[in-house]
Amino acid sequence: MPCPLGKRNRLNPGFRAWGSRMGVVLALLATGLALACLCPQFLSVANLTNVVRQVAINGILAVGVTLVLLTGGVDLSLGSVVALSGVVAAHLAHPGEYPLAVPVLAGVLAGAACGGLNGLVVTRGRVPPFIATLGMMTAARGVALVLSGGRPVSNMGPALTRLAGDWARVPVPALVLAAVALGAAWMLRNTRQGRYLYAVGGNEQAARAAGIGVRGVKFLAYALCGALAGLAGVVLAARITTGQPNAGVAYELDPIAAVVIGGTSLAGGVGGVGGTLLGVLLMGVIGNGLDLLNVSSYYQQIVKGLIIVGAVWFDRQRRSVERE
Amino acid sequence: MDMACDGRGRALRRCRAAAASVLTAALGAAVALTLSGGCGRREGTADARPVVGVSLLNVANEFIVTIEQAMRARAEELGVRLIVVDGQRSPERQVQQVETFIAQKVGAIILNPCEVEASSPAVEKARAAGVPLVNVNSETQAAPTAFVGSRDEEAARLGMTYIARRLGGTGGVLMMEGYLGQAAQLKRSAGAREVLAQHPGLKLLAAQSAEWDRAKAVTLMENWLQAYGASVRAVFAQNDEMALGALLAVERAGRKNDIVVVGVDAIGDALQAVRDGRLDATVFQDGRGQGRGAVETALRLIRKEPVARETYIPFQLVTRENAETFGRN
Repeated sequence: MPCPLGKRNRLNPGFRAWGSRMGVVLALLATGLALACLCPQFLSVANLTNVVRQVAINGILAVGVTLVLLTGGVDLSLGSVVALSGVVAAHLAHPGEYPLAVPVLAGVLAGAACGGLNGLVVTRGRVPPFIATLGMMTAARGVALVLSGGRPVSNMGPALTRLAGDWARVPVPALVLAAVALGAAWMLRNTRQGRYLYAVGGNEQAARAAGIGVRGVKFLAYALCGALAGLAGVVLAARITTGQPNAGVAYELDPIAAVVIGGTSLAGGVGGVGGTLLGVLLMGVIGNGLDLLNVSSYYQQIVKGLIIVGAVWFDRQRRSVERE
Repeated sequence: MDMACDGRGRALRRCRAAAASVLTAALGAAVALTLSGGCGRREGTADARPVVGVSLLNVANEFIVTIEQAMRARAEELGVRLIVVDGQRSPERQVQQVETFIAQKVGAIILNPCEVEASSPAVEKARAAGVPLVNVNSETQAAPTAFVGSRDEEAARLGMTYIARRLGGTGGVLMMEGYLGQAAQLKRSAGAREVLAQHPGLKLLAAQSAEWDRAKAVTLMENWLQAYGASVRAVFAQNDEMALGALLAVERAGRKNDIVVVGVDAIGDALQAVRDGRLDATVFQDGRGQGRGAVETALRLIRKEPVARETYIPFQLVTRENAETFGRN
């Protein structure tokens, strides 16, 4: 690392993360302002409530994958794990069978099991994360299909579907996201394991030399990411009142995009949950706005692609200017 | 342990790596053998039954599973051996699968195409190899030996005509489309627009893709309710998954009493929702009839008997009045 500022920031990831959020904050404000001008419904309470409801699933996934990206890894299995945990939860959520905690916990545990397995394969088997989680992407989808026989698991009781409803006029999925984000931010800031995540992602050799149990730290990141994907799957099942084995196809891409937009480095060691939430919100606001403006689905995909690349590009430019 | 760079450590690691790869290969082979029920044995004892290779669009789709189950049942009755593979929505994979079928020397192929254009090479390869091919459910640009399916335009016409009747010919209508560019989406859009053109009082407020997906449909409908508010009187979704998603959003917004929601396909969940008085209507696509018809046609082709080039299985409108007469599709 020839750049001293980079080094300093590596030692203080929180500082670096705050700095890199400015670009996203500006993008979010600009988008919000443009939408408010173009379509008056955008700023209505009902619509903004919808936005936070709609970003919740992507947000929960993004918080999880932030942990993995911080270690310098990646998780491509999110979408399949979402489908699997949704199917598991829906199987246990028929009316009058089990209390609410059973399907929720089962879904989260199914996700944690997938994530834990990812972690084991990456740390013990030394399989690159891209390959390990790619395998899980296929395998978890297969398990979801086997468990459901290829059909949606329906007849869901009201207890679980209420998870997608409102509590005191606030969407429950948004509350779940808030709790998850606060928990993850606290962990990253205040616990030894949280600090180790940055250390491992920043420089794995140095972390190992400093006596950090690199394998354990990475395993934890994948397991937590899986558990959160499981939770997202449960919320999704509640939202669509079924466990869909074919749900969540390509759901891994939006969270990764949101995390990167939020300033977390794909190389690991830099970033945080706050930036991720901003990235998630930005993507959610854009999706909502394009629907409100009735922009054709063809153009929506182009706009989304441009924004992902543009946000990161802008961030890179700004950072290199900062260094000079 | 990671620091061990001496010869012994490296040899040990290499040995362990070799053991791991052998183990993986053995495990893979064992799983494959178990799942296939022992393919070697079957080829050895020269099964006399006619063989039909089936490449399906995607077995993660409830409707396709219905077709598949009907095919398997009919094949059992007729003494036909089916080799069923999953195209996983990839036309390129389907081309490979058809190539494999040709190499396996199957008597006929049933293709459930992923796409109009991109799956066409599969049809052409079968024709070049002289293997009869039946398209089931959707069409390809290249002409197959025979087609068994339904006219998607007809489904959309039935659904939209029902909406026109319910609204008395006036009001704002939304249309949720499938994956853009797929045959079913193009034809269902065309059929729906035909009906809209006949009813100038019906205004198409917006048409967007929710990619056949229930979760995407919930989000799109929530946003539409914000954008179009009270002017929304009906939603026509090009499949039931999206209709059920739209229905959830409409119900949560407390608008079910003034918005008509209609889907297509009559999947189990949708039939239940119609019986419960939640979903206004769906259009029954006879997946079972299509699957049975495809196997029958393939067998006739193997026996070199005459077949109809196109067999159309009719659609039927399902509302609360007649929902009881439809079983699980």
